[in-house]
Amino acid sequence: MADADTLLTGQSKAGDWRSFERVILPPVRDLHKIDVYEAEADGYKALKDVVRDGKFDPKGLTDEVKASGLRGRGGAGFSTGLKWSFMPPVDPDKPRYLCCNGDESEPGTFKDRQIFEYNPHLMIEGIMLAGYAMTIKTCYLYIRGEYDDYIQHVQRAVNEAYDRGYIGKNILGTDFSMDLVVHAGAGAYICGEETSLMNSLEGRRAYPRIKPPFPAQVGVFGMPTTINNVETLADVPLVVNRGADWFAGIGPEKHPGPVLYGISGHVNRPGVYEYPTGMLISDLLEVAGGARGGKRIKAVVPGGSSTPPLTWAMAEPTTMDAETLREAGSSMGTGGLCFLDEDTDMVSFTRRIAHFYHHESCGQCTPCREGTGWLEKCLARIDEGNGHTRDLDLLLEVCDQMEGRTVCALADAAAWPVRWGIKRFRDEFEAKCRPTAFASGALGGDGATEQTGELTPTGVPTT
Amino acid sequence: MMTPDTPGPSVSPQPQYVPGQAPPRVIPDAELVWTDEEAAQIETFRAQYPTPDGAVMKTLWLAQRKWGWLPPETMHLVADTLGVPYAKVYGVATFYTQYFKEEKGTFVFDVCTCFSCQVCGGYDMLHYLEDKLGVVKGGTSEDGLFTVQEAECLGACGSAPMLQVTNGPYVHNLTEAKIDQLVDALRQGAELPFESVTLPQDGDEMGGNRRTDAQAVETYQTPPVSDTIH
Repeated sequence: MADADTLLTGQSKAGDWRSFERVILPPVRDLHKIDVYEAEADGYKALKDVVRDGKFDPKGLTDEVKASGLRGRGGAGFSTGLKWSFMPPVDPDKPRYLCCNGDESEPGTFKDRQIFEYNPHLMIEGIMLAGYAMTIKTCYLYIRGEYDDYIQHVQRAVNEAYDRGYIGKNILGTDFSMDLVVHAGAGAYICGEETSLMNSLEGRRAYPRIKPPFPAQVGVFGMPTTINNVETLADVPLVVNRGADWFAGIGPEKHPGPVLYGISGHVNRPGVYEYPTGMLISDLLEVAGGARGGKRIKAVVPGGSSTPPLTWAMAEPTTMDAETLREAGSSMGTGGLCFLDEDTDMVSFTRRIAHFYHHESCGQCTPCREGTGWLEKCLARIDEGNGHTRDLDLLLEVCDQMEGRTVCALADAAAWPVRWGIKRFRDEFEAKCRPTAFASGALGGDGATEQTGELTPTGVPTT
Repeated sequence: MMTPDTPGPSVSPQPQYVPGQAPPRVIPDAELVWTDEEAAQIETFRAQYPTPDGAVMKTLWLAQRKWGWLPPETMHLVADTLGVPYAKVYGVATFYTQYFKEEKGTFVFDVCTCFSCQVCGGYDMLHYLEDKLGVVKGGTSEDGLFTVQEAECLGACGSAPMLQVTNGPYVHNLTEAKIDQLVDALRQGAELPFESVTLPQDGDEMGGNRRTDAQAVETYQTPPVSDTIH
């Protein structure tokens, strides 16, 4: 089946990943302390080189990041350098903002938490470099409210960096000044969406905004704003220190770089692993210790709850990069993989995802507010054994009415796992539905009659 | 069988709201003031944002830490302190799940049951806690100490199942024995340690957790806690 044009070759695109040395979370004890970070991990060297010694001017730094091929690690996978270049020219009367998105509420995703916990200074250095590249004076670091312990860790690291003069006025004796404000969320998944994150920072309900205008034109507090994920910004000092060519040489050409894979579910050694992009999903299963109890893996969610689940047959030849996963019928998302073994009930699983989106829909757009509720109700009915096979088509119809009809992508994110869950595991869904009553002659739940076998709109026999 | 959308009856009596009447006050006027230290903190928050609205979330957090939850009079206080309309503060407080609009127990257990935890036995842990404390999720135990809630993904899928105690410390790799220990420790007034989940690669390359100032927790290599989903 492997023809020349397919990316699903079953070959790893991660190169020599077994000898890959971790760079985002290098194996250094107590790396979260600024002394250790400076002494043993070239800490703040990139910032000194760029800001003090003029290794790059702002435009040069943006071009270097563009050349590295770094793509956002928050889910959408947009080119980071390109995003930075969308910022309008500096207007001295207009403040500009950088937001670092550490909301990380996507179920199955827990990679940024490891950066907060183990290497916060790398992220802070990346934030400062991004601020320099876009001539920004204030960065808001948005961390979800549940990460209370980690917010304190990060705040401590920020205070240390302020004390050493890496943040604040006249950084390293230059005329570049920038502040970093840590902002705690309070438990809302939607805040990970960039425009609702901005509303949350402004002290409002976190309703997403209609785009355009894009944040680069009208962002937080009405000013030009760039929003990057925590892991994306943590990659920036690595690009500066080791060069764009080094970064671009890791993993597949179109989606390069080291990446944190959060592996959860039915594996022996779940956790966050750092490897190049383009890892085979089956290799990741192997490094995570294989399936628990020697069972067979049935399904994989490749990048957080909103990415369509793959059957194992589909996942096996697939590598973890945006292009290949798109061809396989899913998406890279945040790189949070959840492996599900053969005993998993896909109906209950899909129902739980629908419950999540119902709970987290912000309620601004009708298709999402109502649709997520109907998805959950309908799936609950099927899960409890009261559903009918026609409910599956009803679910798909509700999905049709949700996708692409709302301000933000939450409705799409809610619909995809349901749509593709039903399409790819339809036999499991049907097995839980009430059988039609063709054989018994009684009026079945499907409204089908023995005589015609046809559905009527009201479920009443036509005869 | 428990289902995710079964509403749990609340055990602790809630104040009765009568339409057209001001709700009963919970915090007397004399206590409804900021200390000098808190007032200084609020000034710091205000300086961090170009508009006073920006400081609303941080000030609400401050109020919740002080009073344990957010009765309407605290929201009025926040609004007056920042010079922001009450409706805005109310809108923010009611939008976010972590702001408590009702009185809770001294300790709130947010048990994660989202899918990574679900497939690793999150619901078993939730039901075990419910049975142990004699409450239905959403309710508070009779001694007023523990509230049990079902939480959406808390971002610790690698150490599932897990729970969070009162918007604070995470407790990873839950088992029934670990829940027993946790409840006993909290009853005795113990401080919960910060649990640092060891990265599997750190375990291989460094022989354990990289942080020397935290209590290391291995991601477990044991058989799954449960095969059941609900």
